[in-house]
Order: sequence, then C-alpha cells, then structure tokens
Amino acid sequence: MKIPFLATFICILSGLLLLSCNDDSCIDETEAYLKISFYNNTSLKLAAPDSLTVYGLNKETDKLYKNETNVQPALLPLNAAADNCTYIIRINGIADTLRLSYSNYPHLISKECGYTFFHDLFSDSLVYTTAGIDSIKITKNSITTANEENLRIFY
Amino acid sequence: MRKIYEYFISILLIIFSTFSSSHAQDTVLIPLKIKVGVDLLGPVNYYLNKDILSAEGYIAADLNEKLTITLNAGYLDYKNSEYNFEYNTKGSYLRAGVDLNLIKPKKSQGKYWVGAGLRYGLSVYNSEVPFFSKENYWGKTYSSVGTKSGMAHFFELSPGVRAEVLKNFTIGWSVSLRKLISSGANDVKPIYIPGYGNTGKTLSTGMNYFIVWNIPFKKISVIIKKETKETEEEGESDNPQNNTEDSSGSWGSDQNFQRSSSGNKSMY
Repeated sequence: MKIPFLATFICILSGLLLLSCNDDSCIDETEAYLKISFYNNTSLKLAAPDSLTVYGLNKETDKLYKNETNVQPALLPLNAAADNCTYIIRINGIADTLRLSYSNYPHLISKECGYTFFHDLFSDSLVYTTAGIDSIKITKNSITTANEENLRIFY
Repeated sequence: MRKIYEYFISILLIIFSTFSSSHAQDTVLIPLKIKVGVDLLGPVNYYLNKDILSAEGYIAADLNEKLTITLNAGYLDYKNSEYNFEYNTKGSYLRAGVDLNLIKPKKSQGKYWVGAGLRYGLSVYNSEVPFFSKENYWGKTYSSVGTKSGMAHFFELSPGVRAEVLKNFTIGWSVSLRKLISSGANDVKPIYIPGYGNTGKTLSTGMNYFIVWNIPFKKISVIIKKETKETEEEGESDNPQNNTEDSSGSWGSDQNFQRSSSGNKSMY
C-alpha cells in the first residue's frame, strides 16, 4: 500500500514535535518577591533612593542590597518557613525596620523548576519605624512571581 | 399547465438518469468492523521506566468507510522524583471521539488506515506532592501537599497509521496532541494528569501503539468511480471484484451518499 504523502508528512511532523518538546531546563522565575516601589513623600512621584541598603533582621552580613543606587523596585524574598519576617531598610543612610506578616501557600512553577511559595500579605500587620520612611502603602496583598508592585514606600 | 409538464418531465429525466447511470459505476465492498485493542507502549514504557505504569484499551465501531467512533479507557500510575520535589499521581481516564480515514476506500479495502482522530478526554485522578523544597535568602524550606482529587477535561488530535497484518488483526501507531481545558485542581496545579500528560506545555504530546482485533459486522458497497456508458457497453472491467453493484442492489448515482440493501454507498 502506498501511504499518501500528506499523511506521511503529518506523521513525521508530529514525531518531530514530540521530540522537540522534551526540554528539561528551568527558565521560569521561581521566587515570589515582595516588590517595593519608592516614592518621594513631597512630590508623590516615583523616586529611587540615592543609596539603598536592605537586609534581614540578624542577617547584617548578608545584604540583599548594599548602598545601591537606582533600585526601583526593590525585590525582597520572604521567609516561607515562618509567617513573618523583618527587614532593615536604610534609605539614603537612614535605617528603618519593616515587619511583615503573611500566609504561605505552595505553587507549581513547572515540572522543570518544581514548586515555590506564594504569599498573602496581611493588610493590618504591617509594622515599621519612621526614621526615614514617611509611610508605607500596600498596593497588592498577593505576592507571586508576577511583575506586580506590592508596597509603596514614601520617604 | 406548462409548468406541470416541465416538472413532470424533469422528474422522469431524473429517474431515468438515476437508473441509467447506476450501471456505470464501480463499487468496492468495505467491511465495517468493531475493533478491540490494547496499547503496547504502556508495558514497554514500564519496562524501561518503572515510574510510569499505564494500561490502555480501545474499542471502536466503524460508522462507514471513513468514520469510526472510538472509546479509549486507561489507567496510569505516575511517579516523578527530582532533587527538589516528588510528585505522584494515579487515575483513570476516557477518551471518546472519531477517527477519520484519509485513504480512499479502493486503497484502504477496510484494512489500512491513515488519518487523524479527534477526541474529548476526561481524567479522574488523585495527586500528591510528598515533599518539595525551596531555597532562598532565608534558607531552605521543606513542605508537602497532601492528596488532592481532580477531574480534568481535554481535547486530543491524533494523526496516525494502522494496517492489517494478519486476518482481522491490525497494528498501528498514533501521535497525540492534547489541549487541556481544565485540570480540575482547586489550588496546586498537577504536574501530570493521567490520560493527558505533562501540564507544563501549551500542548501535551503522547503516543500509542495499538494492536487491534477487528470483528466485521457488516459490509457496505462504496462507489469508487463513475464510468461512461460507452465504456460499460464494451463490457470491460479491469477489476471484476469491484463490480458489485448487482449484488448490492445499488440504485443511486449522483448523490455522494446513497443507501443500498446491503448498507451505505458512497462515491469517490
């Protein structure tokens, strides 16, 4: 029997498609960062600090940002082993403390990347000092791998 | 009155042309079959990879020389272990739809199939993540997700080939492209769904290699070409076995699908 050319072509193409889909590398974002934008308290416009230093409480030797400029937004990983974490945020040389409370829930990134944690921020649990920070506003409680702002810091 | 005459004459012409041309066609007898098969790739896969145990069966019935209604049913037990997670799922699934044979009846003879199937799939499954780990600035965190039940829905397009290798036994393979409609998961999306496959891509791919037992239940004569009356009068026929209109009692000509006493007739 002669197999029609079109059907043969479809079969071969399908086979190639099957082989081409076996890519095992992880290329997706796997960390659900708390995304913080910085605003000037006077103009109420986006304004990256001249100098930004951020680290976790009791992790002073392991800084997330160290005197960095033009950080907008800042990306802070949350502690999934706890339901809260505290950061030291030094904006233009003035240090403040920011404490966040949240819930954690697992999320599948992909078979290649595995699982991560997403978080839901508790709106009424935001605690911070106001040495350099004027105020903080929550813009989105859900903390995921999506590129969405969660907090606005006015300084 | 003139219109009535025209109408009457037209009817007579149609009837005359119908009967006169019915003798100017070649037909081929195509057996319609009920098909029962099993997938051979499942056991082969399990022999090569003990993490995937699957069994799939297949039952189908020919509607005519081109269309077959099909029902696949299967069971799958899947385990995936990586450095940062483990995932287990098991469940049963059904895929129901139609197969379309693209080969012309004269060539297929009811024995060969090159075409594509279109299916709707339903999978009922349980999945669990016994452990997963996530490492970031704060350290490594371990967690798990308990057993969750789900019911997934999907569509499948499956081009393939099949051929009769022994009398009433067919083997053949098909490649499947599947599109998930709903995973049925409320919170954590499943990595793998029985009957569907990997949920991470836009389309999931799969493959089946079936051995099928065919049970003929009816024969239909299919018109395969239209001959001129002059050719018929010369009394020649290249393939006498194709001249079966007498036994099948054909009575149509210009319709694509016609009925006979022995079943359906189609023209090609």
